[in-house]
Amino acid sequence: MLDLRQLRDQLGRVPETQAGTRDLREKQRRRALRALQEVADEWQRVQARVQQTQPGHLVAALRSSPTMTAASSARPTPMTVVSTDGSQIYPDRHIEPTYFLLNIGRVAFQYGTTESPVLDAVPDLRFPSDLNDHFDEVLSTMTTEVVSALRDEQELAELLRLARETHVPGRPIVALADGTLIRWMLRGMQNRAVEEELIERYTGMLREFREEQFPIASYISMPGNTELVNLLRFHLDELEEEAPHPATVDEVNPGEVDEEEPPLAGLLDRHVFASVLARGERSAVFGSMSRIQRQYPEGNEICYFYLHVPVNDHESEIARVEIPAWVADDRPLVDLVHAVVMSECRKGEGYPLVLSEAHERAVIRAPERDAFQRLLGRTLRRAGLSSPHSQKRRSKQRPRV
Amino acid sequence: MKVAEVIESSTRSFVAEVYNDNDAPAFGTWVRADGRDGRDIFGLISHVEVGSYDGNRQAVALGVSEEDRQREWPMVQELLRTTVHAQILAHRDRDGRVRQTLPAQPPGIHAFTYRCEEDIVRELGAPYDFLRTLITQPADNVPVDDLLVAVLRHIYTAHGGETGGRPELVRAGRTLSRLLDDDHERLQSVLRRIL
Repeated sequence: MLDLRQLRDQLGRVPETQAGTRDLREKQRRRALRALQEVADEWQRVQARVQQTQPGHLVAALRSSPTMTAASSARPTPMTVVSTDGSQIYPDRHIEPTYFLLNIGRVAFQYGTTESPVLDAVPDLRFPSDLNDHFDEVLSTMTTEVVSALRDEQELAELLRLARETHVPGRPIVALADGTLIRWMLRGMQNRAVEEELIERYTGMLREFREEQFPIASYISMPGNTELVNLLRFHLDELEEEAPHPATVDEVNPGEVDEEEPPLAGLLDRHVFASVLARGERSAVFGSMSRIQRQYPEGNEICYFYLHVPVNDHESEIARVEIPAWVADDRPLVDLVHAVVMSECRKGEGYPLVLSEAHERAVIRAPERDAFQRLLGRTLRRAGLSSPHSQKRRSKQRPRV
Repeated sequence: MKVAEVIESSTRSFVAEVYNDNDAPAFGTWVRADGRDGRDIFGLISHVEVGSYDGNRQAVALGVSEEDRQREWPMVQELLRTTVHAQILAHRDRDGRVRQTLPAQPPGIHAFTYRCEEDIVRELGAPYDFLRTLITQPADNVPVDDLLVAVLRHIYTAHGGETGGRPELVRAGRTLSRLLDDDHERLQSVLRRIL
């Protein structure tokens, strides 16, 4: 039960904070744009200095001038666009046996033809015993992270399988994934063996995309990345001075800084690109210098560009598109990915249509989840095994008056 | 030919999902569903509906031509389905005779549904007892008068239309007139719309 009356008082502070943050961002943005121009004028030298210094923060690697922009070309037709998205039922310690369920939605469209689309979902029920020793160890403590990582892996595996199933020789194809292709979250597991095994399997599949010459890209809506801003801060010599991410105006102490020239901490890449990119345009392609990427095979390191996606006549957003280096190095392929993402976002009113269709297929709704749990219970009872739900769970499901 | 499959069922009516949208049985036509005992159950299509498979998703205007829709919005057709409602009015008994009364058991869920050929329309003939069921006990939301117009038209066609359909139409019309005799205006309104 949420007491909205109490919340109303707490909400009173929000507009003031928001207005302060907006003013700060505006000043930061103006300063960032000046710094961006300076970096652009001598981008090779800046990049060399970054290589030399190896800053502690994650900094964008420059492959060309950071102010470069490119308009979208027309998407070819006919062409194949494939996409997957996953959802899961996390393990619940109130239910025995412990299990988790992955459900991967798959979509393949043969645009420009009347061939039937693929629109389906592949469920995958797993018990902890299916996982090997490494996983057993982490699963006891880090369940949701492991399950999420396995879901990402399954999404990529199905994407590869779907691309192979639906690719028509001579017809261009793009595989579009949801979220990042960089395995950031594996760092959080603090378990080297699991991390390495997961990265190896993941990058192995990325390598197969390259071998098959299936351009793969991933789409991130409202990205929170700060790699370019960090580069600007590096250029302005303020990278090591600040706490890494003060998020709001409250955290920047106004006494110590020139109010008109605030440090860039807290500014996001997308805030900067909102001023650089016209609607429909993409940014330069940047490289990632994350440590996790050193485990990616050569040519499969993940690069990215930002894209100004129109939502409707008045609204738009800055999205981030990630691509492996072998795609980034091939200008016509980058143009193709750009064209596909733009065409998808136009149809999906600001979000790739093919991804939202894959999501629709993947999502497990509450009644379906309940039906699955009943089915599991019935299967166990039929086999002469009981399915003890914990009393806590039972009382949550049926609160009494 | 199988045209649909039963997805909701009772002894009074059933709902069937159509396999191919272009093949949906028309409003007012007879269909036959397989009964659980293997005997035919006959119903009149009282409602045809096109909608989204997924209750959470609504169709929205796209502003593109049908051809562009097929080529650029391939999921739209996949997400739509046509369902038909049939009011059950007759069945075949153990001896194979068509009885103009309700069956003992409803068609099973997933039972196949077929379009009726004209010989069955002729078999569902005089004394037209099914018209009484239709008029006095229509299933929920059945637009009885429009259904009467359609069913009488089909009787006319099945008996030869311009070349011989008229006498049978007159016979069915007489039954209808007896059933509606205290409502002359209603009868006239139905008859006016038949030919």
